[in-house]
Amino acid sequence: MSQKSSARSARPDDRRYTESHEWVKPDGDTVLVGITDFAINELCNGNEGDLVYCDLPEAGRALDQGETFGEIESVKAVSDLYAPVAGEVVETNAAIEDHLEILSKDPWNQGWLVRIRPNSKDLPKLMDAASYEQFLAEKKH
Amino acid sequence: MEAWRLVVTWGADPAFNMGLDEALLEAEEAPPTLRLYSWSPDTLSLGYFQSLADVPGREQARALVRRITGGGAIHHVRELTFSIAARLDHPLYRGATRESYQRVHSALADALRAAGVDAVPRGATTLESDRSGTGMCFHASTPLDLAWDGRKGVGTAQRRRRGRVLHHGSIKIGGSALETGVATLPGGPTPAELGELVVAAFAARFELAFQRAVPEPAERVRARELGARYLDPDFVAAR
Repeated sequence: MSQKSSARSARPDDRRYTESHEWVKPDGDTVLVGITDFAINELCNGNEGDLVYCDLPEAGRALDQGETFGEIESVKAVSDLYAPVAGEVVETNAAIEDHLEILSKDPWNQGWLVRIRPNSKDLPKLMDAASYEQFLAEKKH
Repeated sequence: MEAWRLVVTWGADPAFNMGLDEALLEAEEAPPTLRLYSWSPDTLSLGYFQSLADVPGREQARALVRRITGGGAIHHVRELTFSIAARLDHPLYRGATRESYQRVHSALADALRAAGVDAVPRGATTLESDRSGTGMCFHASTPLDLAWDGRKGVGTAQRRRRGRVLHHGSIKIGGSALETGVATLPGGPTPAELGELVVAAFAARFELAFQRAVPEPAERVRARELGARYLDPDFVAAR
């Protein structure tokens, strides 16, 4: 793991998180977007073979914040993926569609899904790692 | 007792059936809803990501749609079709997807026992109904699928969207030429008779009070708006 993790959190603190379990990580003038280990566990419960399809957008697509940018199917559930920021898709992770096991093995680095050029330099207010941990803890009750 | 809505629409057309399910998935203000339905004409539904070419028997059904839920193709004939629309934080659906299947299937197994069969999760074994190359849901099985007499008899799949879930499923009553070798129910109950057992099982296991209702006017309008897409050749052949 190359990124720093906070002492309080098992999840990387170099990015922000949404309540729908996407993460967004600044990378130059773009951001990388993926889904969290929690989302992946909800879908496949530790069995990486349960992830069967992932549809990602073409480069060039404009997205509003919160808009569906893709879909992922595990054995038995199709779930939408939501854009954490508004912007233009400049790249998708081509490896994912054929190798969904990457998402289980490394959701934080190799498992990024899309690279977006945000419309605004100021990213929307999203949860940091500690807040996301707290959000997950409250979800359990 | 938790209040649930029960929506029953027998013999509706395929576009309305699919459109209403999606409208119920969208209905954020609605109470948790169990819907029981059947199809006219008999219809083949493809799984959301399924390739049309992977279902060689598709022309044997009188209508063809693509679902928004995943999995394999289902021939909707001589079966009870159901859907559940609820929030993802509802106790039935909270947590791992797999656990939500276990909970829902436990109630379906209760209903099937009342119908005279010993329905149990398939587990690690394979089934006599497993076939390769048909693309049919009932010819493929996973450990959570309910089976009796060594054959798959219930197929269910979920769509999760914006904090809500649509859990769609079919319980086979009789066979179909497209679904040879699957489990069937003795005595051939009607979908309505089997539906009563399903409602009773959910009510008892999860302490639910069902209130039978027709879909809200806005839901019916939305069902027609959404339904057209399911028959659209571009959508059906999209994969």
